[in-house]
Amino acid sequence: MNKKALYFIMIFAVMMTLGKGISYAVTAEENYKFYCVQCHGPAGKGDGINVTKDMAVTPRNHASTADMSKLSDADITNAITDGGPANSKSPLMPPFGKTLTADEIKDMVSHLRKLCKCTAK
Amino acid sequence: MVKRVSCSRVVVVSLLTSAIIGFGAESSRADAAKGEGVFEAKKCGGLCHITQGPATEKTFADQLKKKGPELWYAGNKLKKEWMEKWLQNPAVIRSLEYNSLEKKNPGNHPKLGKDEAGAVTDYLMTLTSKDVETGVINPKSSLQGKIAFEKRQACQGCHQVEKTGKVVGGMVAPSLVKAGERLQGDWVYAYLKKPKVFKPVKRMPIYEGYLSDVDMKNIAALVASF
Repeated sequence: MNKKALYFIMIFAVMMTLGKGISYAVTAEENYKFYCVQCHGPAGKGDGINVTKDMAVTPRNHASTADMSKLSDADITNAITDGGPANSKSPLMPPFGKTLTADEIKDMVSHLRKLCKCTAK
Repeated sequence: MVKRVSCSRVVVVSLLTSAIIGFGAESSRADAAKGEGVFEAKKCGGLCHITQGPATEKTFADQLKKKGPELWYAGNKLKKEWMEKWLQNPAVIRSLEYNSLEKKNPGNHPKLGKDEAGAVTDYLMTLTSKDVETGVINPKSSLQGKIAFEKRQACQGCHQVEKTGKVVGGMVAPSLVKAGERLQGDWVYAYLKKPKVFKPVKRMPIYEGYLSDVDMKNIAALVASF
């Protein structure tokens, strides 16, 4: 491999590393506060500002040990990634699979387990 | 002889038309320049309304420090007639203050007089994006559009809509009640298709891959028909 090619590969690798570092530096708490609290509420109790009397279903109470322990980590991952219909639930839970990365969704599942103080069934 | 008269008429009419169109275009450019002056004098730019594209927001903090929606593609997004009226009598579009999940929108957007509103509208209509293809979406309320909007996804979870004469829906996003008076369908489609071009950091999820191209077109046509 000639020197020029090696030089370009090194620059590309540095750019990719920097880009990844910047875009992934968001915690699950920050993502929750930005994307989830409008429906699930600031403490995850399912009482966000979008919840009006006309809303067809009540958002999941993430602070409920009883409700959340019924769900496996895969159930939660699927609901976040592909929305409520992935678990035969309401489309009022939208899909975040193109908004959050797989790592961010994994971190979010852990964050929800902290909110409910529970583990998978 | 008859032919010559017709030709002369055609020439005269063409010249008059060109003069009128030319004058109109010149006048519109002058109003746009005046409008930009009003926009700057009233400090509408900065963190209130970004008029320079493309979007540069990268983090939540970048988005959250903005005090109002970006306008660098206003000429594609908004309708001219609506904008001119709204600037004179700004009604609340979003129930909550911009970027807030708690504070009610105080509805205190500055009002402009008729002449200023017209000039600012002419200026804002010059702000366009190459990423909006025009002439693609025609307003249409279809069953397919309603299914995509309400059932496949549930846009009413965040956006207020009018249903059987009653306003229902979430509070966090801009209301879509009578959105057809405000929004251009072509922009709604472009936004669904390429959201990061317009709003790289936003609360609304990205639907690419979850809604088909046809669904997005039907939703855009539906919203434009509201």
